[in-house]
Amino acid sequence: MDVLLLQAVKSVATADVNSSINYLPIVLQLLVAIGIVVLMMTGTHLLGPKRKTEDKLKNFESGIDAVGNARQPMAIKYFLVAILFVLFDVEVIFFYPYAVNFRALGWEGFLAVLGFVGFFLVGFIYIIKKGALSWED
Amino acid sequence: MNVLILSIFWGIVMMFSGIALKKKGIATGLAIAGVLILLLGNLGDMSTVVITTSTFNDMLAFRGYNVLFISIVLVATLMYFLVSGREIENVGTGGFDYYALIFFVLTGIVIASSFNNLLMLFLGIEIISIPLYILTGSDKKNLKSNEASLKYFLMGSFSTGIMLLGIAFIYGDSGSLAIVPAPSPFGFSFTSLPTLSAVGALLLMFSLAFKVSAAPFHFWTPDVYDGAPTVFTSFMATIVKAGTFIAFFRMFAGGFASVQGSWGLAMQVIIFLTLLIGNLTAVFQQSAKRMMSYSSIAQAGFMLLAIYAHNDMAKEGFLVYTAAYVLATIGVFALLSRVADPGFQGFNGLAKKEPLLAATTTICLLSLAGIPLTGGFLGKYYMLVATAKAGGPFWLVIFAVICAAISIYYYFRLIIAMYFKEGNPEMAPVSRGLKFWLVVLCVLILALGIFPYEVLLNNLLSL
Amino acid sequence: MLALLLILIPVATGLATFFLKQGNAAKLFSLLSSLATLGISIGAAICTDKSAKSFQAPFLTNLGSSFSLSLDGMGTILVLLTGISLVLVFISTYKNTYKDPSRYYALMLLSQAGLMGVFLATDGLLFYFFWELALIPVYFLCSGWGGERRIAVTFKFFIYTFIGSLLMLVGLIYLYVLNPGQSFSLTSLYAMKLSPDQQSVLFWLFFVAFAIKMPIWPLHTWQPDTYEQSPTSVTMILSGVMVKMGLLGVIRWVLPIFPYAVHEYGHVVIGLSVVGMIYASLVAMKQDDLKRMIAYSSIAHIGLMCAAVFSVSELGLQGVLVQLFNHGVNIIGLWIVVDAIEQKLGTRKMSELGGLAITAPSLAILLVIMSLANVALPLTNAFIGEFLMFNGLYQFSAWYMAVAGLSIILGAVYTLRMVQKVIYGDTNSLTKTMTDLSLNQKLILAGITVLIILYGVNPQPLFKMTMDTVHTVAQHI
Repeated sequence: MDVLLLQAVKSVATADVNSSINYLPIVLQLLVAIGIVVLMMTGTHLLGPKRKTEDKLKNFESGIDAVGNARQPMAIKYFLVAILFVLFDVEVIFFYPYAVNFRALGWEGFLAVLGFVGFFLVGFIYIIKKGALSWED
Repeated sequence: MNVLILSIFWGIVMMFSGIALKKKGIATGLAIAGVLILLLGNLGDMSTVVITTSTFNDMLAFRGYNVLFISIVLVATLMYFLVSGREIENVGTGGFDYYALIFFVLTGIVIASSFNNLLMLFLGIEIISIPLYILTGSDKKNLKSNEASLKYFLMGSFSTGIMLLGIAFIYGDSGSLAIVPAPSPFGFSFTSLPTLSAVGALLLMFSLAFKVSAAPFHFWTPDVYDGAPTVFTSFMATIVKAGTFIAFFRMFAGGFASVQGSWGLAMQVIIFLTLLIGNLTAVFQQSAKRMMSYSSIAQAGFMLLAIYAHNDMAKEGFLVYTAAYVLATIGVFALLSRVADPGFQGFNGLAKKEPLLAATTTICLLSLAGIPLTGGFLGKYYMLVATAKAGGPFWLVIFAVICAAISIYYYFRLIIAMYFKEGNPEMAPVSRGLKFWLVVLCVLILALGIFPYEVLLNNLLSL
Repeated sequence: MLALLLILIPVATGLATFFLKQGNAAKLFSLLSSLATLGISIGAAICTDKSAKSFQAPFLTNLGSSFSLSLDGMGTILVLLTGISLVLVFISTYKNTYKDPSRYYALMLLSQAGLMGVFLATDGLLFYFFWELALIPVYFLCSGWGGERRIAVTFKFFIYTFIGSLLMLVGLIYLYVLNPGQSFSLTSLYAMKLSPDQQSVLFWLFFVAFAIKMPIWPLHTWQPDTYEQSPTSVTMILSGVMVKMGLLGVIRWVLPIFPYAVHEYGHVVIGLSVVGMIYASLVAMKQDDLKRMIAYSSIAHIGLMCAAVFSVSELGLQGVLVQLFNHGVNIIGLWIVVDAIEQKLGTRKMSELGGLAITAPSLAILLVIMSLANVALPLTNAFIGEFLMFNGLYQFSAWYMAVAGLSIILGAVYTLRMVQKVIYGDTNSLTKTMTDLSLNQKLILAGITVLIILYGVNPQPLFKMTMDTVHTVAQHI
């Protein structure tokens, strides 16, 4: 019963950590996930009405008629800022473990984090100097 | 240790000097100075003059073999800068950023050659890969370069994912990230891994095979090598390849050496396919640049023999092979990046126009083909002896030898074009300095073939 | 020390010749160098001091190799042949002009160095090194200075020999791995006790390399094309000296190391050789091109030598060793005549020649002498060798000897037919313009004639010289 509730089987688990029975919950979960997807897809396919009109079959691109070459130069400033934000945002997460443990890590930890922030800053200065953040040309 | 810290540091220096110094011409000079400093640091590593003795909780190890390998990489990088510096500056918007990326790749190589921990393997491989995606696409105006970059990025991240999955399996099974698999309590025999770890090891092998472009994971190689600017192709096919190979070598010839039962057969298949596909496809190429990319696949097949054999002979031979292959390929690419037409006909009559350049390229090609007195021969010889000594299958040795004979065909096509065909090749002017350094390169290749111990391997014994 | 000099002189002078700007200077310099080498090889043949004839230096010691050279009987006779042939080639082609002369002469000297190394090396890896190094300059010579189809043909030749030598490399590697002493030295290889299975595999690895070089049917297909397309001076080296590399390889590196396999597969090898002899003789009869005809006749002669080697009788072996030298000298003589005809008339087709006896009498006389030596007429040097070889073959099996004997008759047929077509008959418009040999060619051919008759009447010195090789092989087989 434990297995079906996605719980490890205790009696087996203690006997043999390598036993593949421990991974049965994962397999079950996988099966359920695939099952739901298949069920939904076939369900909607079978149940929904099918009306094929010209408008529905046309290529759809943000509601605008698709014309011309896709390889047009375009401003990527927004994407640049966005991706840089993500980068720095993710790095900030590394402060959390330090903030929780900073007393325990002592001076050595402090120096390590200082080094980390240092690299961080260097990267920041580099992108500013490169003009990645200047909005006007 | 020194090299790790210095290479990061110098990468940053290169980054900022690009902003501070507007002048273009000095980038190469600065980069060469950087490599010289790294070499000094490497000497320090050899004689225990180090910045810090930390090994990051035993996650990295700086011992004789790796340190010597790193010095090969550094010397090769130095030669690469000396020979191709001008070309690097001419790509895209300026040399500094690309040099910075190259230094970061070196950082990755240092980690990849000295990891003791699967996480560090992952980190090293990634630090090598990411700058390469950028370098591949550095010719921004060229669609082929863009395509190559995107292709490389997508396939590369896919293989990284596979590597992580493999690491996860191994960790899940053994509960440890150390590269020498801990004996798990059940089902462990001394020649093979338990099932889950074995699957993990195979996944790891596949992703590393992708990184070193061994068949059947090689499909990205010709497109990427062809699309990337030729200077960076030269870098990828030589130094980077060596860097990823040492990771492969360390993982399988070091960590998994005792459990060859789990991966030996798969490795045989990979070696067989790599030799076969690399050599046969290279025969049919019409462009020298594409030929060189298939040749790099073919050469990878020989280097894999060292991993398969993983005895003392293989360890020595791996160094010799890498050094000879890297130097010779740099030498060939030095010519390739200066000739306007990369097809074979573009080299017709080159020996008349540039006799010295033709001669150095010929020596490099002879080395790649494995003609005696060159380092390339000795490398191949070591690989064969190592395989024979390790009791490797006889058919594999014979097959490798036949492939070496096939490789003559495509290497000599270039020689034939240069020496025996008439024509007037269009090419960029060649400076005296370049000629000098190419001669030095050839002397190194020959010295490696005649005095391998004096040039290289005695250091290994003394370390 | 003498042994080292034999390699060092051509290497040093060869490398120096690359940098000579003037064509004539290169010509003279290389002639002097080859004379010096010849002098030393004669000295080595006369010298009885064992230590002077061998040389030892450390080289790739950790890999079980060493730079060890030594002159035994077979080595001496081949070194002598190499020394003589370069002199013959240089003098007889002294009036020819080659494009890019300094490179041409440098490569010639380097190929001589490679050949000397092959004949002298008593270390497996070193032998392999020289084996390859003799090939590279010859490849460049043929591709650079040869006929119209030279590139494709020479490439075929190169790939053929390279595959063979790589197989030999695998054989050497396995010998090294099996050798308890972990060494390549000849003495330690001779002392090895290999199981029959090991011997069988390794024997074929080695033999294929040597068979391609000799060449033995059916691995001979590179040979006529290459001989035809190469410049004649290189063909002289190829056919006079380089084919001997294969025979030396068999005698020194196969017979004493794999005695079991030699007995086991002797029939196969001799069978192939005999088939090749008959086949080559028949094809030679059909040729119109002089060079191709001589090329096929060379296959027949080499086939006989190979068969005699594998008959494993002392007499046969003795015959082969003598013939190594005599065949080289005779065939170079033939080539010189062909070269003279080609240089003057611009053709090698027998159908376009005729009547040269009228316009060029001394050429005609010398061609007849060379041809008679080629068919091994008694009192010429080739006779004694062929006689002994047939004797050896007879001891092995009368049937083989009977079939192989046919090739003597066929040989006489095609050679005499050639002589008849080239020098007899009426002159035509082309051969009317023929002039006689120049002085240097006359001198050289006269010298060869002296050798032919001298060793035809008195072969004793050659026997004495090669006695020790026969004993060594007989001990191990």
